[in-house]
Amino acid sequence: MTEAAVLTAPRPPRRNVEAIMAGMPRRRAAERRFRLYGRLAIGLGLAFLVLLFASIVSNGYTAFWQTHVRLDIPLEAAALDPDGKRDPDALRRADYGGLVKQTLRGMFPDATGRSERIALYGLVSNGAAFEIRDRVLADPSLIGRTLSVWVPADDDVDMLMKGNLERAGPEKDRRLKDNQLRWIDQLAADGRLEKRFNVDFFTRGDSRDPELAGIWGAAVGSIYTLLVTLLLSFPLGVAAAVYLEEFAPRNRWTDLIEVNINNLAAVPSIVFGLLGLAVFINFFGLPRSAPVVGGLVLTLMTLPTIIIASRAALKSVPPSIREAALGIGASPQQAMMYHVLPLAMPGMLTGTIIGMAQALGETAPLLMIGMVAFIADIPGGALDPATALPVQIYLWADSPERAYVERTSAAIMMLLAFLIAMNLVAVLMRRRFEKRW
Amino acid sequence: MTTPSASVQLDHGAALRAAAALQSAAPQGTATVARESRGQTVGDVRSPNPRIRCSDVNVYYGEKQAVRNVNVDVGKNEVLAMIGPSGCGKTTFLRCLNRMNDTIAGCRVTGEIVMDERDINGRDVDVVPLRAQVSMVFQKPNPFPKSIWENVAFGPRIHGIARTRADLDEIVEQSLQRAGLWDEVKDRLGEPGTGLSGGQQQRLCIARSIAVQPEVILMDEPCSALDPISTARIEQLIDELREEYSICIVTHSMQQAARVSQRTAYFHLGDLIEVGDTKEIFTRPRHQLTEDYITGRFG
Repeated sequence: MTEAAVLTAPRPPRRNVEAIMAGMPRRRAAERRFRLYGRLAIGLGLAFLVLLFASIVSNGYTAFWQTHVRLDIPLEAAALDPDGKRDPDALRRADYGGLVKQTLRGMFPDATGRSERIALYGLVSNGAAFEIRDRVLADPSLIGRTLSVWVPADDDVDMLMKGNLERAGPEKDRRLKDNQLRWIDQLAADGRLEKRFNVDFFTRGDSRDPELAGIWGAAVGSIYTLLVTLLLSFPLGVAAAVYLEEFAPRNRWTDLIEVNINNLAAVPSIVFGLLGLAVFINFFGLPRSAPVVGGLVLTLMTLPTIIIASRAALKSVPPSIREAALGIGASPQQAMMYHVLPLAMPGMLTGTIIGMAQALGETAPLLMIGMVAFIADIPGGALDPATALPVQIYLWADSPERAYVERTSAAIMMLLAFLIAMNLVAVLMRRRFEKRW
Repeated sequence: MTTPSASVQLDHGAALRAAAALQSAAPQGTATVARESRGQTVGDVRSPNPRIRCSDVNVYYGEKQAVRNVNVDVGKNEVLAMIGPSGCGKTTFLRCLNRMNDTIAGCRVTGEIVMDERDINGRDVDVVPLRAQVSMVFQKPNPFPKSIWENVAFGPRIHGIARTRADLDEIVEQSLQRAGLWDEVKDRLGEPGTGLSGGQQQRLCIARSIAVQPEVILMDEPCSALDPISTARIEQLIDELREEYSICIVTHSMQQAARVSQRTAYFHLGDLIEVGDTKEIFTRPRHQLTEDYITGRFG
């Protein structure tokens, strides 16, 4: 085409603009639909989250209050300390349970006969005697006086007060019989029955009595387990990632290792539990039910997550930074430690926290190594028998007593609080490490 | 402000790009042009006062050959400019001089690059002191995301050139002054180097290179990402630095080559076509390809 021809050629028809305009409503509608799908997805996700939280909180918040009974217990010197020496051993061995029973009999003289009295004693928790003992041991000068003390009520009384037990119906189907209900009503009328903040729940270990069962033992077990996991998996994972990403030659062996790390990330966690049982307990002879073994098993489970995330973080550091350092004669290790690692650290921390969060919620491998045992003591170290928060939830969810229902939900709340606290720490640390470009 | 992802592709990519371009250009280009010119480089490849002497340097990326039989000297106190169309191997060759190509998987260098009477590709040569001796400034300014002071002090510190804070302060000040950046940043040495303008960043990178007291500075298109004013400053800086250092500069700008260099090497598709005094090359090129390139017939 010559220049003249170009100049004289008719202008292109405006038809394409018309065609575009004609298609616009359809395109705009598609655009709107697309956004709608996104909002729907988010909305649905949030709705389920709200539902989950609402059901857990509504089930569990009552566990933070526990019905207590006020007893006026005459601490007679003759019963507690016949020698009068105030010897702590003697005081510890004294029959406080008998005192509680005696007090109850005094309050309700109508309870005659063996079965009636057993029903009466059942209104107050077994923990009442220990409560009184602790008070006396802490302050022996109480002896000879009358101690007015709030002691936990039995879990059935607690459930009745919280409206979870039926008063109506045939007596033989009810957990609380007519005479017990009468005594409870009388206690309530006297102002001797009150719901008080459940300190025991936060400070005690597990118990067969729901009103005495606490979450602290499991929480401490989880803390020790996660501490072991973190101390092992973070350095190991970062070192492995750094070596594989920055220093290892690319050959068949490293390919094989890479494939296997990716495979390990997908291995069901109970398999790691079996491995831990076979290797750490049976072969190395480490103690059963111990957080140190739990930590080792969870380390195996967490490592692939941390390695994969750390490698991704290292990959995302611009090569120009490495070249800059190498270009003025930094050794690869110096370029790594001074420049690449600090830039990759936020990503590594994110991966670590994801791995740790998984480890915190993991139950199956802990079952295999015996951390599912009933342990009432609060572990004093990583070698003591312990259980973990998710295992405690499982144990309580499996228990028949009605009072464990609310405790299960409360324990879930504690687990979530733990998670949120961990994530918060991670976010703060990440912010510290993050560099502005 | 540039994003980190952009710089990911550059720098490291430059050499790879060269290889890629070579692959795509190879079918037609080499058949006609390269065959007739292969082998002999026109002009004076040797310098009377050499600092680095390269003999028969070949570079391969896997199967592909990116640089073919290059013979050239880098003289003392001279600026050697390397020009040529994209993908001609000039950056690849430059990176041979301090073995930065080691960092690229599958890259292989043959031939001799002699400095201080030994081949830098020898097995017994440690790249760490070599790179302190022959430092590099990259195409894209790549300051560390740390303070200006840290950027400059990093090299001297890792090499143990200075140990005390006072010594480091002195080196930082000297280097920044040599790079013509001191007056602009002396009051904010603690601020991040990444917060400077592009031209300042590149001068910071030059200061960082000077701080390790090298003997040769390699510059890979140091002004390609900069505006004309920053470019002029850096060119002036290169001219001043020549008094103490040998400088190799890769550039796409023929004017820049003409302004800053004493000798110029023209690369074409992996071959070193012509080397000579810059004045000679730009006024009386001897090779047809050189003439075509500098007169703008292609490239």
